Amino acid sequence: MKFAEILRGPWTIAVYTYREGIRKKTLLGFLILSLLVIFGSRFISSFLDPSAETDIDVKLIKDICVSAISIFGMLITVFISASVVPGEVENKVIYTILSKPLRRWQYLLGKFLGAQLIIIVNLLLMGALFFFALYYYQHVWPTLLLWSILLTYFEFLIVSAFTFAVSCVSTSTVVPTIAGLFIYITGNLTEYLKDVQNRAGQTGQWLDALAGDIAKWLYEILPNLQNFSLKMQIVNGMPNDPPRDLQIPNLIIYGLEYGLAGFILSWLLFWRKEV
Amino acid sequence: MRRFPRLTLALVFALLMALGAVQGRRVRHLRESEAFYRWLQAAAVNERLFQEEAGENRDAELFAQCNAVAGELQELAREAAARGAAEGGEDLSAIAEVSGSHENDRRLWDIARSAELAAPRAEFLKLAKENKLRFARDIAYAEAQQGGVSVFNLFFGFRKVAANFVWIQVDRFWHQGNMYRMVALMKTCVSLDPQFVEAYLVGAWHLSYNATAKMLDTPWPQREWDARYGACVGEKERYYHLAIDFLKDGIRKNPRNYKLFFDLGFAVYNQKMKDYANAVKYLSEAIRLPHERWVPRQLFISQELNGEYEKALAGWEDYIKNFPDSQTALEVAPRRIQRNKARIAEKAAEALMAQAAQAADPVEAERLKADALAKRQEALTIWTNLGDKDGDAFRLRLEAITLREQKRYLEAVALLDKARWELAELWDELSDMIMDIKKEAGIPLSVSETKAELRRSEAGICPGMPEAERQKVLEGNQARRAAS
Repeated sequence: MKFAEILRGPWTIAVYTYREGIRKKTLLGFLILSLLVIFGSRFISSFLDPSAETDIDVKLIKDICVSAISIFGMLITVFISASVVPGEVENKVIYTILSKPLRRWQYLLGKFLGAQLIIIVNLLLMGALFFFALYYYQHVWPTLLLWSILLTYFEFLIVSAFTFAVSCVSTSTVVPTIAGLFIYITGNLTEYLKDVQNRAGQTGQWLDALAGDIAKWLYEILPNLQNFSLKMQIVNGMPNDPPRDLQIPNLIIYGLEYGLAGFILSWLLFWRKEV
Repeated sequence: MRRFPRLTLALVFALLMALGAVQGRRVRHLRESEAFYRWLQAAAVNERLFQEEAGENRDAELFAQCNAVAGELQELAREAAARGAAEGGEDLSAIAEVSGSHENDRRLWDIARSAELAAPRAEFLKLAKENKLRFARDIAYAEAQQGGVSVFNLFFGFRKVAANFVWIQVDRFWHQGNMYRMVALMKTCVSLDPQFVEAYLVGAWHLSYNATAKMLDTPWPQREWDARYGACVGEKERYYHLAIDFLKDGIRKNPRNYKLFFDLGFAVYNQKMKDYANAVKYLSEAIRLPHERWVPRQLFISQELNGEYEKALAGWEDYIKNFPDSQTALEVAPRRIQRNKARIAEKAAEALMAQAAQAADPVEAERLKADALAKRQEALTIWTNLGDKDGDAFRLRLEAITLREQKRYLEAVALLDKARWELAELWDELSDMIMDIKKEAGIPLSVSETKAELRRSEAGICPGMPEAERQKVLEGNQARRAAS
């Protein structure tokens, strides 16, 4: 009972954040753009030879749609995660909320959950449209797509959590937005750190060796978003692929752990924020 | 928590990051194991089906190392080998044997990621990075695993989309008739997305059908020996081999997709190269995987063309049992069954006739001959009852054989001439029979037949051919002529 009471506050804030978030024109713009791309992918396949009766057009549609969901979904994730807290600091609503009998972590949890709700709903909208479009083309339920969308969400969860953490120390939405995009790009380029590590130490100087060690540790610690590229593979893959079946649950745990770490970081940063 | 709240939170954060790092290691292990597993499958398919040399690459060496270590697979491999031996299979390594069935995939995957194969796996990653493994060159992840600036992580995980746009360019080149640029780009496309099965299928179709559509078969003396393919090839035939190479590459990377096996067996080997033995080989692989209903039908037709009438007959009978209400089971399969029964009877008649010719005892020879004639009559009845063009052609062919034995040569030639216009499938065989009968009867050959005879003597031989191969072909030609 007590636990339910503790969560009531965050849930109210989450619902309110969600309602406020879905009214944002930027998000709506991204959503409409992504839906247009999903519809438009059908026209891209018209570049292909219509006389050749192949499934290439379906593959093209699948790849473009999954990419569109990833790109626009990521933009929605970054914009929403970067704006939920600084937005309230800017319009001073946060002072009214924190003056209520509500702890800071409850407020933060509510905001984070609200952002996740917006991301999930957007992802579901895009995914559902794509799901039915694929069914319309193929007359087979594209069940592998559901796994792809699930993995996409856990990739977004990592980006969202760390962007949210940056937004907790920022007073405007610009810095966390740029930071979110930076997190996404660097998260996809984590593999380069291994290259730095491999090349380090060639000069024999201590600074060179140190750079290699730092790269090694960063490579171990930082989340690698390239791991989630599996989402692109499974859409066109064969059913019953043993490596994929094992990677999906492991990637979900991976996303959850870093997502939670990102949220704890935001809590830590928000602790002493002067509001 | 109450006394040092920030410290506690910092510790929780550090713990979660550490857990993330541990999980990241596990995911990395799985991705590396996946690359290794895909390579194992590619190397196994190569050993089982293609037996292509890896050249200076170290695939064979590493694969042998894996086989030596994979002790757990030995029992499974022995079971598979026993099944394979029953079907007339070859001696294969444990991994190649196990990978023959898609039902063993999970077991192979468990082995690929196990500690037992840790050393070969590490060696694989090292060699893949050094580009010393032919079958790991384009496998997804193989490069990315080792870090570095690679084509795989340049696209932020969207390289499949890049592959699609490359394919659109391939399509454009095709419409421009720019075949040579198209081939190079097709390879780039499947490098970006090795699971792009449709690219393999359509690419091979362009190479074997569209590129060669307006080309005539290269005359044998104008072909050149190609050691890589072990065959005499002209320009047209080179495109066929390019298509085969392209599909084989696709099969190595997608060994569980029946479409690639089907296209290799049916579209290229059966339809284009008339190499029915290879057609049967790859179509048999296709039906071992989850497949569409029309795949076995083409296998049975190829088996018939390859002279495996008993297998084709059994296949069609099974097909009727499995799909009793299908249109094929009702209309096509019964006729195919009759055809194969007739062919089996013909084959038995030929064997009995050959035995009769060699029998020392005249009574025994007469008995064998009577049996042969009874078999031939059985075949004749089936062909007559079929009552279609195919049946007519085969009936006429059989009647001509009887007339030839009775030395009624002119009548035999007349029947064969009529029969070859009934069924295109028999054209070459019946034309050869006409020439043989004419030579046997001392009837002069026409100009076109003389030219055909000359072509026949050159068939299978080309400049640059190794002497051993030349002898093999000549002996084969001689044996065929003797049988005819």
